[in-house]
Amino acid sequence: MDQFLGVTGNLLLGFAENMKLFFATLLFAIPLGLIIAIFLLSKFKPLKALFEIIVWIVRGSPLMLQLFVVFYVPGILFDMPMRNRFLAALIAFVINYACYFAEIFRGGIISIPQGQSEAGKVLGMTKSEIFFKVTLMQVVKRIVPPMGNEVITLVKDTSLARVIAVSEVIMSATEYSAVGIIWPLFYTGAFFLLFNGLLTILLGKLENKLDYYKG
Amino acid sequence: MPVLEVKNLKKSFGQNKVLKGVNLTLEKGEVLAVIGSSGGGKTTLLRCLNFLEIADEGEIIVDGEKVFYIGDDGKPHVPNNGGEYMGLVFQQFNLFPQYSVMDNLTLAPRLAAKRCPDYKENKKSIIEQIESQAREILAATGLSEKHSAYPCQLSGGQQQRVAIARALMMSPKILCFDEPTSALDPELTGEVLKVIRSLKDSNRTMVIVTHEMEFARNVADKVIFVADGIIEEEGTPEEVLSNPKSEKIKHFLSVLKKDEI
Repeated sequence: MDQFLGVTGNLLLGFAENMKLFFATLLFAIPLGLIIAIFLLSKFKPLKALFEIIVWIVRGSPLMLQLFVVFYVPGILFDMPMRNRFLAALIAFVINYACYFAEIFRGGIISIPQGQSEAGKVLGMTKSEIFFKVTLMQVVKRIVPPMGNEVITLVKDTSLARVIAVSEVIMSATEYSAVGIIWPLFYTGAFFLLFNGLLTILLGKLENKLDYYKG
Repeated sequence: MPVLEVKNLKKSFGQNKVLKGVNLTLEKGEVLAVIGSSGGGKTTLLRCLNFLEIADEGEIIVDGEKVFYIGDDGKPHVPNNGGEYMGLVFQQFNLFPQYSVMDNLTLAPRLAAKRCPDYKENKKSIIEQIESQAREILAATGLSEKHSAYPCQLSGGQQQRVAIARALMMSPKILCFDEPTSALDPELTGEVLKVIRSLKDSNRTMVIVTHEMEFARNVADKVIFVADGIIEEEGTPEEVLSNPKSEKIKHFLSVLKKDEI
């Protein structure tokens, strides 16, 4: 029993790192994703092409590799070694998830019928008023399900940060398995399941809340 | 002085010349019906009048004010307050689904008021004024009970009436309709046409693209038949619909008649 409580305490400390990484990534990746989505929809071809290439690189290569790149490359190329492992992980996660979010936002934005912005235009609204007051709310409703998917994936992906030695929950568990105690490794699954269960309920509530209208 | 004057309006999409020089004038309180087969340029004409498409050549003059023209540098001049001159009711209504009927009506006026410098001091009275105007217009279109409903809870006819009410909120000098009843079930067109007729009775200047020939005959003061990017024929409903001169319009009207049988 003592061992169980001790392990739980240590794993919780590890999971706190996962949570920090999770919330910080969401906080920065959502606005960055929105900006990238707007660039992807830009009529200025070079800008659009540049961000299409960035999204291709980020989505086309493993997140694990991206973690290594952010952590090691500044030191190798610019002689500015990354001292803060958590920060390195955060940067890699924000860039990676912003690109995925950007594609979801882009899909959401182009799915809104043109007539909506035309209606705003003939009523004399400015472009930004149309975006924020007419389009965006409809986009939010449409992207809740795919965003829920990404958000849940993000919870699990945070455990990848251990490859640059961020002491997240699975890394904490491997300290036990290194001395022959295997079960804490499997026990970490409970933390992810519990948190994702909570998220699923919250996402469902959000969907219900937006269900007051159709369209 | 005419309330609307269109001079030599031209518009191409790539190689496709959709409008090849349209001229028309409309006096205050007049209703203009625009008829013609699809692809003839009716909708493009309406969209140019509402600045949703930018014409390549020509002028649009509202109340003596040149609101659209090609500048000396060859660039088109488009008003940034186009909504004050022109209103548009769409075939597909295009109501904002996330807002109640009331908010659909008041959103644009509230945003416009916010842009004014004295908004902060008079916020309360400005919003009250906008809301009471909205209630008046809803009453006039027979939608008072629906003010807190969402568009998805309304029938097509009710939605189109809300769309008309929303356009009226901006008090445009000319109100345009793009086939306002084409997306409606036949039994719902009557209520929309009734509202449009009542607007004529209150002396509103309107441009209506329509396939409802009977309605055009009864409500319009002028009818233009648009084909291949020009006004093929124009005149009173009697002249254009009952005694057409050109072969194209004779053919168009006879096809419509066959459809009715």
